[in-house]
Amino acid sequence: MTDEKLSYEQARAELATVVERLEAGETSLEESLALWERGEKLADVCQRWLDGARERLDAARQARATTD
Amino acid sequence: MRVVSQKISAWIARLGWVWVDGQIAQISRRPGASTVFLTLRDPSADLSLTVTTSRDVLDLGAPEVAEGARVVLHAKPDFYPARGTLSLRADEIRQVGLGELLARLEKLKKLLGAEGLFDPARKRRPPFLPRRVGLITGRASAAERDVLTNARRRWPAVEFRVVNVAVQGPTAVPDILSALTVLAADESIDVIVIARGGGSVEDLLPFSDEALMRAVFACRTPVVSAIGHETDAPLLDYVADIRASTPTDAAKRIVPDLGDELRVIAHARQRLDRAVLGLLDREQHRLDAIRSRPVLERPEASLDQRSAEVTALRDRADRCLHHQLGAAAGDLRHTLARLRTLSPAATLDRGYAIVQRVDGTVVRVASDVDKGDEVRVRVARGELSATVTDTVEGGPR
Repeated sequence: MTDEKLSYEQARAELATVVERLEAGETSLEESLALWERGEKLADVCQRWLDGARERLDAARQARATTD
Repeated sequence: MRVVSQKISAWIARLGWVWVDGQIAQISRRPGASTVFLTLRDPSADLSLTVTTSRDVLDLGAPEVAEGARVVLHAKPDFYPARGTLSLRADEIRQVGLGELLARLEKLKKLLGAEGLFDPARKRRPPFLPRRVGLITGRASAAERDVLTNARRRWPAVEFRVVNVAVQGPTAVPDILSALTVLAADESIDVIVIARGGGSVEDLLPFSDEALMRAVFACRTPVVSAIGHETDAPLLDYVADIRASTPTDAAKRIVPDLGDELRVIAHARQRLDRAVLGLLDREQHRLDAIRSRPVLERPEASLDQRSAEVTALRDRADRCLHHQLGAAAGDLRHTLARLRTLSPAATLDRGYAIVQRVDGTVVRVASDVDKGDEVRVRVARGELSATVTDTVEGGPR
């Protein structure tokens, strides 16, 4: 599954796992770096979902405001 | 001609006396004439007969009888040869009184109830919003106006198909029956309203007619009864799928209120918005909380720590190496001192010399060299080359 296809909940759950592993601090430097990059990507996916939802909501409300 | 007329007259004369129940459609009392003509008709079918009677009979049994009244009369079919007309000759007429009418209605109500015509399980529900509404009512009546005005006020787009009928008198039932047939056959009509304003018990009789009750019961389209005032209860109220207390109430039953519906939708939208916005805010908070965790927000912290570790290790290595270098230098000095202690230079300084053969061997015994050998003589400063001229064995040791 590519990052784009992750649902918000999937991305958030994986992000939480990544953070926990990073915080445990038992990973090698190389792994830590990869984890951090993964975390950033997942956080972006989550943010895109939330932003997209807000945009759709705003658009629907604007459309409603013009038809009312 | 005469023979035919006489034969018909004789044949009709053989028919016996009967009791007839009917409704007076027309009554003609000619001043001075002793014979009164009535047109008697069936309350629900298009059937009528002429009745002849004497003024005395009428005054005795039904003195205040008027058109539209129900009567029971005792009569015999009678042929009038002069005109070739058939009539009923009545010798007794009784107007059906209010009490008797109500008793009959009660009996009919029990009968229809027992047959299941009032069964709540058989009632059909009209749709929430009908495509078209059939309306059976009197022309330009208050009932018609009440239904139309109030329904349009509630739902401006409501469509009506109105059939105007007589709502009292002898033609009321046939009129309403045919209107019902027409509207029931119209596929675009989802509900039929039968409306009439208030009136006397006799005025409302058509709305308790047995034939009409059975037709309403059989009608596939839901029927709303909207007859008279709250207190009026014609049998139509029991048979109809919905009983409205008045024509205005019927308008409320057939269409929803647009304003109410819009308010409900607006309210639902508000809740929808709140729910979605709340969810988004909550999720944003969760995401922000995760992103603000040090491992994500300051990934360099982990690098800093590792970098500090590296620096510390390097320092240790440096220190270690420095120490070792120092120790090595000390050793070297010590060794050099020892080396210097062992050096022959001090002895040479005192005037001794070292004799070596050409091959570098130190000459310790005179016999180590022969006469004529080249030797090197090292002194404190510099060295000499010499040739052995003589050797002498012996000496100390």
